Parts: sequence; C-alpha cells; structure tokens
Amino acid sequence: MAGPAHQGGYDVVVLGGGVNGAGVARDCAMRGLSVLLLEKRDLACGASGASSGMIHGGIRYMTSDRNVTALASRDAGYIRHIAPHLTFRIPFLLPFASQEEGSHLLDRVTWYATEVYVGTYDLFQPLKGGKPSVRLSADELYRLEPGLRPGLHGAVTLDEWGIDGQRLCLLNALSAADHGADVRTWTEATSLVREQGRVVAVRFRDAVTGEHGEARAGVVVNATGGWSPGFGRSNGFPVPMRPGKGVHLSLDRRHGNYGIICTAVDGRQMFLMPHEMESIIGTTDDDFFGNPDDLDATADEVAYLVDGAASLVPSVREARITRAWWGVRTTLFEYGVEEDDLSRDHRIYDHAADGSAGLLSFVGGKLASYRAQAEELADRVVAMVGKGVKPCRTHEVPLPGGDEVPSPRELAARHGIAEVIAARLVYRHGSLAREVLRLADEDPRMKLVLCRDEGILAAEVAWIARHERVRRLQDLRRRCRLALGGCGGLDCARPAAQIVARELGWDADRLRAELADLLEAGWRERRAVLDGWQLAEEELLRAVHRGLGGL
Amino acid sequence: MAPATRIECDVLVVGGGMAGATAALAARESGARVVMARKSPGSTGLSGGAVSVAQDPACMPDAPFAARSGVVESARRIAATRPGHPYQLLRDRLDRLWNAVEFATGQFSSVLAPPTGRNRWLLTPFGHAHPAAACQRTMAAGDLAEVRGTLLVCGFEGHLGWDPGLVASGAVRVESLGGPRARAVLLDLFRWEEGALGKPFDLARLLEAPGAAEEAGKVLKRVLVRGDAAAVLPPVLGIDPAARVAERIAAEAGIPVAEFLSDLPSVPGLRMHRAIEARLAAAGVEVLGGEVRGGAGPDLPAAVGGREVVARSWVLASGRFVGGGIERRGELREAVLGLPVQASEGPFADPSIRFAARPSATLTLADSRAPQALLAAGLRVDGDLHPLDAEGRVVHPRVFAAGAVVGGHDPASDGTGMGVAIFTGWLAGRAAAGRGA
Repeated sequence: MAGPAHQGGYDVVVLGGGVNGAGVARDCAMRGLSVLLLEKRDLACGASGASSGMIHGGIRYMTSDRNVTALASRDAGYIRHIAPHLTFRIPFLLPFASQEEGSHLLDRVTWYATEVYVGTYDLFQPLKGGKPSVRLSADELYRLEPGLRPGLHGAVTLDEWGIDGQRLCLLNALSAADHGADVRTWTEATSLVREQGRVVAVRFRDAVTGEHGEARAGVVVNATGGWSPGFGRSNGFPVPMRPGKGVHLSLDRRHGNYGIICTAVDGRQMFLMPHEMESIIGTTDDDFFGNPDDLDATADEVAYLVDGAASLVPSVREARITRAWWGVRTTLFEYGVEEDDLSRDHRIYDHAADGSAGLLSFVGGKLASYRAQAEELADRVVAMVGKGVKPCRTHEVPLPGGDEVPSPRELAARHGIAEVIAARLVYRHGSLAREVLRLADEDPRMKLVLCRDEGILAAEVAWIARHERVRRLQDLRRRCRLALGGCGGLDCARPAAQIVARELGWDADRLRAELADLLEAGWRERRAVLDGWQLAEEELLRAVHRGLGGL
Repeated sequence: MAPATRIECDVLVVGGGMAGATAALAARESGARVVMARKSPGSTGLSGGAVSVAQDPACMPDAPFAARSGVVESARRIAATRPGHPYQLLRDRLDRLWNAVEFATGQFSSVLAPPTGRNRWLLTPFGHAHPAAACQRTMAAGDLAEVRGTLLVCGFEGHLGWDPGLVASGAVRVESLGGPRARAVLLDLFRWEEGALGKPFDLARLLEAPGAAEEAGKVLKRVLVRGDAAAVLPPVLGIDPAARVAERIAAEAGIPVAEFLSDLPSVPGLRMHRAIEARLAAAGVEVLGGEVRGGAGPDLPAAVGGREVVARSWVLASGRFVGGGIERRGELREAVLGLPVQASEGPFADPSIRFAARPSATLTLADSRAPQALLAAGLRVDGDLHPLDAEGRVVHPRVFAAGAVVGGHDPASDGTGMGVAIFTGWLAGRAAAGRGA
C-alpha cells in the first residue's frame, strides 16, 4: 500500500532494512528520488544487527583485499563524522605468545612480521581518526591487562572504533524517512511483478496488520542479505553468495578496557572486547546454506568461542555469558576456498540478463564501508532511473542526532538525572537526547529508571515509541537494548511494554502478545549459554513471566 | 584458628525458604532440636504473595471457578499425569497434603490467610488470573471467584509501574467463569517526585507513614461508584503487616481492599521472608547464617558461619538455581553434598538417562513455553524423600530432601512450587525428627 503521494509508484523500492538497504534508501532519498523501503522484520534484524559492533578497517583483509581495507578505513572516518555520538574507541592488544624470549627464530620472525603488518595498517589509521600502533613490552602489557595469562612477551596495539550497528541502521532509515522515503518495517516483499523481462512492481504483505499491497518501482534494489539466495530462488533470479554463519557471545560486564586478539583452537583469529556495558567474544565463521530465520547458536560454537578467549584471558571461563547471538554474512561466492579466506569485498549484480531488468542485488561488503557501498548502489540506481538529481551528500550530512554531542554532565545537572544515565542517552541519541529529556521535564514520571544497566528511562521508551518507527515491542531490543542484558527483562520488560502500549494504542491482549514475543526472542539467545548465575536468573525470569504472567 | 563452637542437634535443615522453614517447624513441633543453615533469602523471599499448590491439569479452560476441583484433588490429577513430579512420587501420601498446607499456613498466619481448600483466583501485574491455594492476608479480598459486583482495579496516577487496564484484562478474560466485572482506574497518588520514581519498597514505606493509608483511602473513596464490591491495588500496601495499610485504606474507603500479586521487586516476598524469620525465632529454631562447608552428612561435623554443627538427621531444602541448592558450572550438581542431579521431566524423567553433563542447548527446547528439562532438574528421591545416588541407592537413611532441590517439577512456572515445598518440607521435617507421616 503505497502512500497516496506515490500512486504512480516509486523511483526505487529497496528490499531489506539492514545497513545496506537503509543506507541506499537514505542516499536515494537525499538525492531526490522517491523511495520505498520494505523490511520483513525490523531494521537491523539480520547481519547488520549481529555484527561485531565495530567499524574496523579490516586489518585482516589487508594483504588479500587492500582496497577493502582502504575503503573501510575511509568510510569509517565518514561514519565518525556523521554519527559521532554512536562511536567509541576500542584499543586492541595483539599479544605475542611464544614460550621463551628469543628462543625460536621463528617467533622473532613472526613478531617482526606482525609489527610490520600492523605498521602498514597504521598508514590507514588517519583515514578513520585512529591512533598509530604501539609496541608494548611484557611489563607494559601486564600493567594494562593483568588478566592475561602468564608467559606473554609483549604486544602491539591496534586502534579501532566500536559502534552500535543497530542504531546505525535505524538512523539511516530515519534519515531516509526525513527525506521523504516511505519506510515500512515488518512488511515482507512477497513477490516481484515482471512485464516483458522487466521488474516493474513489488508485492508485499504487512506482517502486523496482514494487509497486502503492491508498489510500482522504477528500480528494485535487493539488499536482503542472507535472505537473498532464498528470495532469488523463489522469484526466479540467482544471487551468487557464500553465506556464512557468525556467532558472538556477550558477557555480563566489561572484562577490561582493551580488546584482546586471540587465536581459536583451529588457528583462526578471534577477539574478546569490551563493548558498551558488556564484553563480546567473536566470532565463528561457517558456511551456512539454510534459511537465516532458523538459525540458533549450538553448544560447540559456544565452547569454541569460550575456549578461544580463555586461551589468553583464563578468567573468561568464570564469566557469566548472558547471550549467544548470530547472523549470516553475505560473502562473495567462490568455490574451493575456506570461509576465512573469502573476500569481504562487495558486488552489485544487475539481473537484466536473468530476465529481470531493473533489479539490482547487493552482495558482500562490510558495516564499516556501508556508506560507500550505498553510494555506489545509489549511483547505479540514479543511472537506471535516468532522472536529474542532487549529488551524494551522505558523507557530510549528519545522521539524526549526529550534529552535536551534548555533555552528559550538563544534561544530568539540568534535568536532574544521574550522569551515567545521561551518558547512555547521549550515546544512543546524540543531540536528540535533549528532546528525550524534554519529555521527562514535562512529565516527571518519565524519569523512572526502567533499566539501570543500560540507563533506560521511561522517557526514552516513550520517545522511541513515538519517533523511531516501533511497530513491535521487540524493536526496542534494537533501539535501546531493552531486555538484552543478563536480567533478560526482569525489571524492565513489563513497564516498558506498558509505555509502548500507551503510545501506540495497543490493547491488553496485544500488549501481552508483544511481551511474550519479546521474551521468546531473549530465550532463544540464552538457551545455549544457561550456566552458573545466568541459570538462576532464568529461573527468576520464568517464575515472573511464565509462572505469574501466564505468558 | 580457634576451634569453632560446636552445636549438637537432632535435625540440621539446610535452606530457609518455604521448604526449609516448614521442615524446621515440623521437626520442632515433633520435639526435635533444630538448627537451620541459611546463606541468603532464597526464592520464597522473591515470591509474589501466592502459595500455589496445584491446578487441575485436566480442567477445561472454560470451566467455571465453582466447578473446578479442589486443591488436593488437583494434586492427585497431577500425580496421575506427570511422570517424575514429586506429587507422583508421593501419590500414596497425598491424603496428608492438606495437613501440610494447613500446618504451614497456620505457622505463617501473621501474613497468610487461612486456605479454603479450593484455589483462589488472583490478578497479577501482567493481566493474568493466577490460581493459588493460599495467599497473603492482604490479597484474599481480591479473589475473583468470590467478589460479587464490580472489582475496581487501581493503579497510581503518579507512578508508571502498574497499568490497571492491563491488570484488569486478567479479570475480563475470566469473567465468564464466574468472575466479577472489572473496572480500571488510576488513583491520584504519588504525583510527586519521591513517589513517582520510587521502587515498590519505597512506595510501601510511604504508605506505612501516619495518615498516608487514610489519605489513600479517601482518594479511593472518591472514585467509587455504585456496584463496586472490592478494590485491588498494586502490591505495595506496607511491608510490615502491623502497619495494617490495607485495612486502613479499606476502613477509610468503606470497601474491601486487596493487593494483586507481585512481580519483582516484591514487597509481599519480603513480608513472607520476615514472617518466616519471626516464626523460626519464636519456635526456637536456631538459625545460622552462612553456607554449609565441609559437611558430609549426619553425625559428621559441618561448618556453618563459624560454628560447627553435628546433627543426627539432615534435611536438604536448599532450593533450585535461585536458592543455590542445584548449580551448574558446566555440569549440574547438588551444591551441599555433591549429589548427582538426575531427576527431571519430559524425556529426561527416566533416571537411566544421564543428563547432568549435557550442554544446556540440548536440555532446552526452542519454544520457551514447552517444559524445559534443564529448569526441572534436581535430586532424585525415593518415596521417603531420601536422595538417591547414581545407582538408585539411598544416600543416607537420615538425609532427606525437600522443596525445589527435588527435581521433576519446574517450581518457577508449573504452579506447584510452593505446594511441593510445603508438602515435602512437612514430610521431611517430621521424618527427620523421627516421626512418620
């Protein structure tokens, strides 16, 4: 159901609300095209929301895909510029792990090679505002990170940027909407309509209301990520891809202030890093040929990640794992290559040769270079639409809230809230944190703290419900990390649901259904990691939500 | 290190929740000298005010309240249909279940209302009607099966914690079963910062203050209309039962007043915990704070909070995961004596299946509403509540287990948690004191 303004259809219909879909929707809308974005679930429900939460330059790809590293580093710099509130520095340590200093020539060669390698990466660092690497002695290393296992001989540092990938997606979609795009979440593209070898329209179904619709399209951009091969199969066009499943674990607290690069049991490189209020261990990389909707983390993936992190930080075994989460990478197709060696480059497929002119598919790419990818896509769309439009400005126009980063201390003092909560609010909303707190000033009840860990105020939930395209309660998992922590929503889920229900006019039955849906999503991420205190927490959650709530 | 003070007693009860307290008091009633070792308030202190014993599993959802089976009959039906459930294990003794419930509710009569033999139907903050064999005194007037006329479901204008419309929806859903009509209102209370941002305990304290309950009663009275038969309020009507907050509001408003059940944080849970403490002290149970260390069972010394306890019998009432009686550190085990965890439900009810070392993903199902073997894990016991070892032998003739540490049921969600705690606690306490059921 296109809006009345678009009876004649859209210049471009974008399928998929991941970072590429949202990014290209924003770019096209800013260039003056009429845009419809369709996402079958919520924004950032796929790989974009399950990324490691970094816009890193991709040091791993430097030898094989130097252009990937250059592109990612440069674009990371732009992202820092358009969403400064949403990024934070993560200094990584890359420890050297040999037995005895100087005993093996090979070790010394390896260290030297690593230093040279990291030194080369330093050349890219200025592009993204990163700091140059530093060589640390063993003493310096253990002073910085006493939790490392003994016997290490030093390290080099590596400066990267952390980001909230889910909000990055959201901000692109919000910006697209601000520039006139129709953004429809929980709306699945069911089929493509062809006329004479050309895709001319998209049929879709709204999963919340059940209504069907059709939108005419000048160009259709398929940015459905891991769902692309399946969508292509059922719509008669091939999307070559080597989808890979990646699993991360979250720990209940920051283990330290530095990311640690470690080696998994099979020799793969992986990491343990502090990220916002938690730590993340990642990641696995395995071919995956099923339906991304059916993914689950398995027991061996959990063990693989814990073992890898514990090889350098033994205390990780005692840490409380709060959830295991996953996504499907859309790496470029290649036959006979190991998962890790697949290129992280991206490609745009034009399906004219498949009898589907006017249809583009996007495959591959990285979160860090999403903006450049979107620009490239938008260029292609513009060429196909053949309309005189404005130039790309996505690298210089801030995302919503990105124009300024207010001081949390000042906000806290002015509005009478805790500084730590103001800081989380600024992190998530940038300059719009002021608007959120205006709600709290108008209605003092809105200063109620729903979650102390994430610093979620009732006002933030209400503001998000009003302004951030919430259609289902679980959308708040991605807007403000509601019910994502170790408590799984014990304190916050019901009051937050009540606020959202009030804002969106849900009746009690809808509210209960949404609450059950939110809790089910959390359960899926916890069932593979229920151990220690997390298991006790699960018992409490179950007692409250199922025993008492009858959900 | 100086030798610890040695205490010799008849019964050592490990755990101070509903199961442990019932066991200790039952043993005490039988004349035993009882010591209780308790490391922290367990899940009873976090409970919401209901004492759920049994709901008929065979009952049609649309059966009227009046036609539903009584609590004991419901427990018998659970025993007949749930392999591995403690009620099934104790099916030959279920005729004593009601004695146990009356004993426990009598012991804690400072906060618990006398049970009637059938389930009361109480509203929860989630908009659900929850059956309970017993409940706190402050809640009895909210029994949906008893209220005639309109039930007024109240929230607070100044506080976002409870949505009376949501709570009332629980009553609407069971109105056709013989429940009252429900009407949701916001009471003009707590519209000032300390109230608006308070946690449940803060609000309970505020209502205990002189004049506060009377003021609340006046506010309530203003919104009453003809036909209103009772009012339920958020479960924050005072922490101390002696403050009589609910009665004071009711007296002022001229209408019966009750709390609905609580989620967390739970004022009623704290109230229950305090009632248990007071009763244990009055009955002469010596309570030692701290974990049981180095304990190997009856007749052998165990260190508890700097003391050394030697007891003729032990009752393990150490709870499940929240209580800490069962823990999982890569593998499931019982925390005090290191006993094997081998009782569960569903496919894992069969004790020959060794599931304690399996990954949690294989002990759970993707649908959270399905029975979850991991959350029903606990000790396997015989019909006398003796824990069994991996070969199915009694671990010790004078070690008993009671409450959530016993496996085969999911105390968090299957609606029998408190009932199992009370029944097994009562039986184990008496047996440990040398008295048969």
